[in-house]
Amino acid sequence: MSTPTKAQVLREEKLFILLFIISIFLSHIGIIGIEDSTIMPNYFIALIVSFILMSKANLNLYKILTIGLIVDVVVGQLIGQYGLIFMAIYLLDLITIKMIVIKNEKQIEGLSIFLILSSFIILWITSKNYDMFIPLKTLLLQAIFTFIAYLFFKVIINKYISK
Amino acid sequence: MVQKESRTNLRLFNRERFPLVSFFVFFILCSVMMGADYRYQISKKIKSTIPILITPINNLLNFPVNLFHESKNNFINKELLIEKIDNLETTNYILSIQVQENQLLKSENNILREILKIRKEFEIRGETAEIILPEVRNGYSIITINKGFKHNIKNGSAVINNAGLVGQIVNTSKSYSEIKPITSESYAVPAVIDNGKENVILYGNGNGELEIPLFPAGSEIKINDTFITSGVDNLYPKGIRIGIVSEIKPTKSPKFNYILVEPFSQPTSFSQITVLKIKK
Repeated sequence: MSTPTKAQVLREEKLFILLFIISIFLSHIGIIGIEDSTIMPNYFIALIVSFILMSKANLNLYKILTIGLIVDVVVGQLIGQYGLIFMAIYLLDLITIKMIVIKNEKQIEGLSIFLILSSFIILWITSKNYDMFIPLKTLLLQAIFTFIAYLFFKVIINKYISK
Repeated sequence: MVQKESRTNLRLFNRERFPLVSFFVFFILCSVMMGADYRYQISKKIKSTIPILITPINNLLNFPVNLFHESKNNFINKELLIEKIDNLETTNYILSIQVQENQLLKSENNILREILKIRKEFEIRGETAEIILPEVRNGYSIITINKGFKHNIKNGSAVINNAGLVGQIVNTSKSYSEIKPITSESYAVPAVIDNGKENVILYGNGNGELEIPLFPAGSEIKINDTFITSGVDNLYPKGIRIGIVSEIKPTKSPKFNYILVEPFSQPTSFSQITVLKIKK
C-alpha cells in the first residue's frame, strides 16, 4: 500500500472532524425504542477504532491523546479517562500488528472486537474507581452497539475515501 | 479465490519507533489528571465556566421541540384558548379554597410549635424550571434543566416536583444545570417513615430505586410504607415525599433486612421541577 498523499490525509482529517462532531451530538441522544437511555453505543470509541484500524487521518499518540482530552472536556466524566482509553486502543493495535500478521477482513473485525472490549474494560475499571459506576451488563450491551457503530463508521469512511 | 487486499502494509519487521516511553509518560499524566479532576472537580468547573462547550449542543438538541411548541402556539384557535382559560379558572378556584385551609393549618401549627417550643421550620423558597434534553450523555443518565447560576441556582440545592423528591443540583452553568437523581449511585438522603417512627438513610441503587442495605429486623416496617425526608441534614426540608417500600428481603444476618424503595417522582423530559432555596 502506497503512502497517502498530503491531499488524501487532509481529506481523511476533514472526515474525522465531521464524524467527531456528529458523534458529539449522537452521544447526547438515546436510541429510539430502547427504554433505558444509557444503553447506547460509545461513538467515540467506535470512531477511534475505525480510524486506527483503517490507518486513516494519520493518527499518532499525540493526536490520540489530544482527541481523548477533548472528548473528556466535552462529554466525559473525568479529564484523562478517554485520553487513556484512546491511547490504550492505539497501543494495543500497534502491539497486535507487530505480533500477528493481519491479512484479511475477518482478522480486522476480530481485532476491532478485541479493541472495543479492551477499551470498555478500561472504561469500566476507571468508572468503578472514580465513583461513576456503570453496571457491567449495560457496559456489555454498549460494547455490542459500539461494534455496530464501528461497522457504520467503516462503511462511511470507505465510501467517502473511495469517492 | 483471490484474497482481499489487507488494510495496511505488513509491519511485521518494521523498525518504526515504538512509542512505549511516550505511552508511559502520557499514562501517568492521564492518571494524575483523573485523580486531580476527581478531587478538585476541574471538569465541572471547566464546563460551567466555558458555556460554549455545552450551550450549542443543548440548544441544538432542544431546537426541534422548541420549534414544535412555537409553531403549535401559532395554530391554536380561539375556542381552544377559551376552554383552557375556563379550566384554569376552575382549578384556580379549587386551589384558592385549599390555600385558605392550608393557611389555617399553618397558623395552628405555628401556635402549637410555640407552645411546645419546637424549633422553627425552614422557610422554603423555590425556583421553577423545566427539564430539557439531553437526558443522556455518552452512556450516563443525566437530568438537565433550563436554568443556571444566572437564575441563582446553586450547586447542592434540593430539587422536587409535584410527586416528591427528584434529586440534587450537581453542576451549574450560566443557563443550564444538571441534577443527580435520587436513584443514582452514591446518592443518600436522610428519611423517616411517615408515621415518624424510623429514621434511616436511603441510598440510590443506580437501577431507578432506593435501598436500605441493612434495616434492623426488629423494627416495624411493611410494604407500601411511605418514606419522607427527615430534614436532619438541614439540606432537604422535612416532609418531602421520597418513595414507598416495595420489597423487604432478609439478609445473611438474621438481625437485618434489605429494604427496596420505589421513588414517587419519575421526572420526564419537559416536565416542571422546583429547585429549592432553603433559608435558615
